[in-house]
Amino acid sequence: MPLLEVADLSVRYGKALAVEQVSVTVGQGELVGVLGPNGAGKTTLLKAISRAIGSTGTLKFKGETLERLPPYDVVARGICHCPEGRRLFPELSVLKNLQLGAYLRSNKAEIAEDLERVFALFPVLKERQQQQSSTLSGGEQQMVAIGRAMMGRPELLLLDEPSVGIAPRLKGLIFDAIEKIRKDGTAILIVEQDATATLRIADRVYVLEHGRTVREGRAKELAGDEYIRQVYLGV
Amino acid sequence: MLEILIYGAVSSAIYAMLAVGFTLIFGVARILNLAHGAFYALGAYAAYAFTSLLHWPLFIAAPLAVLLVALFGVLMERFLVRPLRYSQLAVLMITLSVSLAVEQGLFITFGSEYRNVPSFVADKISIGGVDIGGQRLLTLIAGVLVLLLLWLFIQRTRLGAAILAVSQDPEAAQYMGIPTNRIFSVVMAISAGTAALAGVLVSPFLTVQPTMGLLPMVKAFAIVIVGGLGSIPGSILAALLLGYSETIVAYLISSSWTELVSLVAVVITLMIKPSGLLGRRAAF
Repeated sequence: MPLLEVADLSVRYGKALAVEQVSVTVGQGELVGVLGPNGAGKTTLLKAISRAIGSTGTLKFKGETLERLPPYDVVARGICHCPEGRRLFPELSVLKNLQLGAYLRSNKAEIAEDLERVFALFPVLKERQQQQSSTLSGGEQQMVAIGRAMMGRPELLLLDEPSVGIAPRLKGLIFDAIEKIRKDGTAILIVEQDATATLRIADRVYVLEHGRTVREGRAKELAGDEYIRQVYLGV
Repeated sequence: MLEILIYGAVSSAIYAMLAVGFTLIFGVARILNLAHGAFYALGAYAAYAFTSLLHWPLFIAAPLAVLLVALFGVLMERFLVRPLRYSQLAVLMITLSVSLAVEQGLFITFGSEYRNVPSFVADKISIGGVDIGGQRLLTLIAGVLVLLLLWLFIQRTRLGAAILAVSQDPEAAQYMGIPTNRIFSVVMAISAGTAALAGVLVSPFLTVQPTMGLLPMVKAFAIVIVGGLGSIPGSILAALLLGYSETIVAYLISSSWTELVSLVAVVITLMIKPSGLLGRRAAF
């Protein structure tokens, strides 16, 4: 049984169909990528999984349906969403942002442990923990966003375009951290425009265009797909 | 001089209690609540009903009045405002309707006569030769305490952090597992409760009558425009400015001119700094 099972998922914004009959699965500890151009429906897919927007179709996590749950219950079940554009709480410190990621948890010792884990993943955040989050660079803000999502101790981490607007040097750090998180056992569903990096780190990849799945398969196989090479890798 | 200092502080405390709740619910839920003055009036009338009609002791009547009005605020937000929250105009109309309905309800129930509420503290206290009513002093102390507790609650508690998170990005707050609708209810309870407390505290020395919520509503609105919509420190600062300006005008010119102070302050603010003293964005 897959950890996450999305089947025939559709999302409408008014009359416009943003996602049409998309099916995605993520296994335990798996890193799955979703590629596609702007407006392909990638962000909408993640929002639908977190129940931030309504959808039709099947949404199951560990065999249980998510379809009628409010977003906070989805988090409680073990899905944490690191949204597009980082969406930090700009007037709060780095530490407060990270602590809010653990809002539903009450075990203080475990929260402190996870905070140290985030600081080990992104050492710069330990130095900046008292700094207002809006004063950080784009890359550092992304680190806070990923760290904040990890503070929920997720079984499945949803990452929405973590490399957008980040300096190339920090991009490498972010992707290294994502690989580390996966190695520690957290399954990841990552939405990205950087096809090269995604195909390098992902186990499997889905390609969305105009709200529909146009390709899916193992990352290594798709990296050799002529269409993917031409359209997404530019070779 | 000392008289101005003390009476200005009392006015500022009342205004701050009113304005903080008004700005808090706007800052967190983007609800421009025109029924805020009704909470103040309901607090005063509940105090009147419990003490003068039912003869309950004040220490029971006052907290019960605040709790009941807080509950009223929560129900209003849940059933009338929330379904229409995404339309500012609808929210304005709904809250204005609630305000008028409350005023009419008070009129039908209690009539148009002025009502008296017994003072919690009947004695006068002399500070540096200035006699001040014990009730006014209590209002000042309660106002400062409420603001201090509210600040501590928001800055130091988990629920307070959630309120700050929702005020800055409600969608991102959802991804943290924060139930935003419950946060709106909590904030509405605080907002209505602080307004009701102001009503309870002033009821022994100000006029208790059905339209008593209108002027405080205008003042609260003026304060949050001057202080900056959504900014609690801005509201406190503006409450101090307005409270002292009115007191000075009353002493130097005449008390008939005090109501103009808030209106002049609003016009000047909107012309010079539309975002208010400490606001993040233009109010309108």
